[in-house]
Amino acid sequence: MTVLVTASSTLRGVTADLDALLRRVAQRDVEAFAAFYDNTRARVYGLVVRVLRDPGYSEETTQDIYLQVWRNAQGYNPAVGTPLAWLMTLAHRRAVDRVRSEQATSQRESRYGAANVDPPADRVAEAVIQLDEQRQVNACLESLTDPQRECIQLAYYEGLTYVQVSERLAANLATIKSRMRDGIRGLRKCLGVS
Amino acid sequence: MTEPNDDLMILATPYALHAMPQADVEDVERQLADAPAPVALAFADEVRTVRELMARMSAATAVEPPPELRARLLSAVDDGKVVELRPQSTRWRTIAVAAAAAVVIGVGALGVGFAMRPAPTQTAAEQIYAAPDVRTVSAQIDSGRATFVFSRERNAGFLVMNDVAPPKPGTVYQMWLLSDAGAASAGTMDAAAVSPSTKAVLPDLGNSTALAFTVEPPGGSTTPTTPIFAELSLA
Repeated sequence: MTVLVTASSTLRGVTADLDALLRRVAQRDVEAFAAFYDNTRARVYGLVVRVLRDPGYSEETTQDIYLQVWRNAQGYNPAVGTPLAWLMTLAHRRAVDRVRSEQATSQRESRYGAANVDPPADRVAEAVIQLDEQRQVNACLESLTDPQRECIQLAYYEGLTYVQVSERLAANLATIKSRMRDGIRGLRKCLGVS
Repeated sequence: MTEPNDDLMILATPYALHAMPQADVEDVERQLADAPAPVALAFADEVRTVRELMARMSAATAVEPPPELRARLLSAVDDGKVVELRPQSTRWRTIAVAAAAAVVIGVGALGVGFAMRPAPTQTAAEQIYAAPDVRTVSAQIDSGRATFVFSRERNAGFLVMNDVAPPKPGTVYQMWLLSDAGAASAGTMDAAAVSPSTKAVLPDLGNSTALAFTVEPPGGSTTPTTPIFAELSLA
């Protein structure tokens, strides 16, 4: 399989490649699909496993996400965002849906309420995620205030709604909304995303 | 300074992060539909930016998935490798063909771009993967793994078994769709069908709640005669 991303390529390079690959995936190009998967799998699986905390569910959900990519590649609209943002939005949506349906059907709260399961960084292929980038993102997360980081942790990585976050933290909804917004602003500023 | 749209704009972040209850999402979308164009555009722009940010953030949580997932996905989308199990009855086959025809018509209606391409004849498996309600369940069977990708809308599923030990000589594995009405046979697999991997389309899921496997004599049985050794919940 062609390796399209080398250790020296930048995120911008990845995004440009993904754009071309996604166009080929829309034409039912299996090889392009494989390359698209190889370039993004660690990001997608990593986010899913972070949200779901269960390797089996995460594998199933990751498979569903990529089947959705295969099916909907032609519906990708560059005006709405980069292919990576499109993919990660789709991935997060599916992971959150799965968490919420599991919680609704089984009430196995403890499964999701457990302490953070931080993945060992050395399991990530260096070719796909640059360690520099990973360090930078982590440093930016560290730069937030504790309440801001906690809000983003619960809402984005545990799949809670802001209502659930406000209950969990015994804070009012307006406060939670502000913290969420300010936390995201902080990350944007830190990472230079505008 | 408070702008009249601050109450709406502050929701762009939780909206982008999928952190709103469904009722609130619908409420925001109604408000946006009624809002002046610049407000709706500003909201969309904010959502887009937050999502680009989270794409960047995904570097922090990256983890390599299990390597088998790649092979499963690729065989799932690569139609050339799909084999159908021997159907147990002609009725079975008729239903499968009818369902396939219905699905091709449905897909053709989706978009001109798709319909215009030369003869995009979808295999039964492709139609399942293309279903909006596609779901995947899987289970370990001894040293191997069975994965079932199915769609209620398509009323069909696609089974992939990798590295599952073949049935002992003089026996077959039989698949059953379990429902309130009991167990309906979904086909048999002999040693040649199982090793080293199996791909099979199972049409006519009906209102089954599980896919189960038993060991049966050659040719299969009308009802399970041995205990279920593996079961995938479809509920």
